[in-house]
Amino acid sequence: MKGKRYLSGSDWVICTLDHTLKMSTCAGNMSQVVFMLDSPIDEAAVRHHLQNYVDHLPVAFGRVARNYFFNLAPYWKIPEKAGPAINLRVYHVDDSSGREAVLNVLEQTVNRPFQNDNEHLAFHLIQGGSRQSWFAMTFDHRLLDARGAEAFLNLFQQYWLEKGNPDVLDGIALTAPSGLTNWKKKFSAGRNVNRTFIALSRHTPETLPVPVQKDTGFRFALLAFGKQETGRIYDAAYREAGYLMEMPYLLSAVILAMHELFKKRGVELPVHYLIPLSLDLRSADDIREELFFNHVSYLFFQVHGEGVPERGALIQSIKEQMYEQVKSGLPADLAEASYLTRIAPLPVLGKLLHLPFKGKVASFMFSHVGKSSYGYEEIMGGEVENLFHMPRLPIPPGLGFFFNTFGGRLNLTVSSVSGMLHQEEISALEQGLREGLLPSTPQ
Amino acid sequence: MTTGEIEKKLIEGIAAITGKDPSVIKTDVPFHTLGIDSLSFVELLVFVEKTFTIQLIGTDLTKKDFETVQALASFISKNLP
Repeated sequence: MKGKRYLSGSDWVICTLDHTLKMSTCAGNMSQVVFMLDSPIDEAAVRHHLQNYVDHLPVAFGRVARNYFFNLAPYWKIPEKAGPAINLRVYHVDDSSGREAVLNVLEQTVNRPFQNDNEHLAFHLIQGGSRQSWFAMTFDHRLLDARGAEAFLNLFQQYWLEKGNPDVLDGIALTAPSGLTNWKKKFSAGRNVNRTFIALSRHTPETLPVPVQKDTGFRFALLAFGKQETGRIYDAAYREAGYLMEMPYLLSAVILAMHELFKKRGVELPVHYLIPLSLDLRSADDIREELFFNHVSYLFFQVHGEGVPERGALIQSIKEQMYEQVKSGLPADLAEASYLTRIAPLPVLGKLLHLPFKGKVASFMFSHVGKSSYGYEEIMGGEVENLFHMPRLPIPPGLGFFFNTFGGRLNLTVSSVSGMLHQEEISALEQGLREGLLPSTPQ
Repeated sequence: MTTGEIEKKLIEGIAAITGKDPSVIKTDVPFHTLGIDSLSFVELLVFVEKTFTIQLIGTDLTKKDFETVQALASFISKNLP
């Protein structure tokens, strides 16, 4: 139906996380994609082209709705016209201010709530003197997931290069079935998911205490690896984890670094860590069509015992858990079963999601986006030197590690709710992660 | 089943996992150039096990067996029940 896009179960879970984040922090379930550019870019041109681009996409100004009388499935109500004007703010930092000053601005922008329930995108241009600039888009996870956000800006760059030709937008899916059929399949998937969760919740996962103060934002630490360093990391992953097994290698480094932090906090043995890994159910070639909304599912990794095993055994355990969950079809079952959650209002579902694991949903979150969905080397005339993400996270756990690669370079963003980690802990974590990812001597 | 038929099945599986058109999937290039990452590689393992009813985990697989579609087809051919 025109003006209406039914939300999937995954979308509904994301809406619930948005609701709970708004209750517990200063803003909703938002993230930010950041482009580091080699030159300043023209503010007027950016504003003009972004406005024209978004004007073709009223979906970006929609809101969540539900008709309780005719159809219980929640949907995204798409207005007939886009608007109001895009939210673009410009900031200036000195050439000499350094990365910390830019990161401070970016922390403020991602923690700033949207102005109303129809605003889901905010753009930021940070002019860094004569030599560089940063372009960032804050996005509502109810509208876009991380790869969707990259693909959204990839399409914008295509639109820019084709001088505002709206034909580039053809083929984007703006409708979806209501998902009110195949109940047997959904309940069967739900049974499988329930069994998995019962098995996972035998032990309550270790977590870091969530700060009591509400209305707080998130803090970010960015570890950017050069091309040579990235090559060394991927070579080490090949040697220690096997062909194409970068993800288990990266996750093992994070677990070992986090275990050191937990030990310093006085964790009691046996330890039990539970780490959800978000994954994209779209193939790389599907993203352009399935640009909007959420196409995410999860795998879950556990570490349980009198400590964390040595690196080789840890990597092997991660590989085995990944294999077992993919073989059992868990990611697809989660997506299917989550359709059943749409009956619950957001505040109720928010409480239900915290029932397993005694309210401690996970020790921390992890994600590894391999190939970027942004395929250009420039944006709006500026050469892209790097691209990374700054996600706000569900609380608990309020802590997560996000790897992405761009232009042959690996980035790691550590996201934590303000007050969860002390500065010295963040520094120690960064050092532990570098040591765990990079082999000690160049190969 | 011949090696050529196995390659054809593998291409179908890779196309389903990566979303690529089967006609663009070459059999003599490394898997990472086909858009396969850690997770899709495991999906491919599971696809192979289900399609050819062979157990890959626990066999004497080497990294070379997984570097191209041709190499994997050759390994499967030798291990078919």
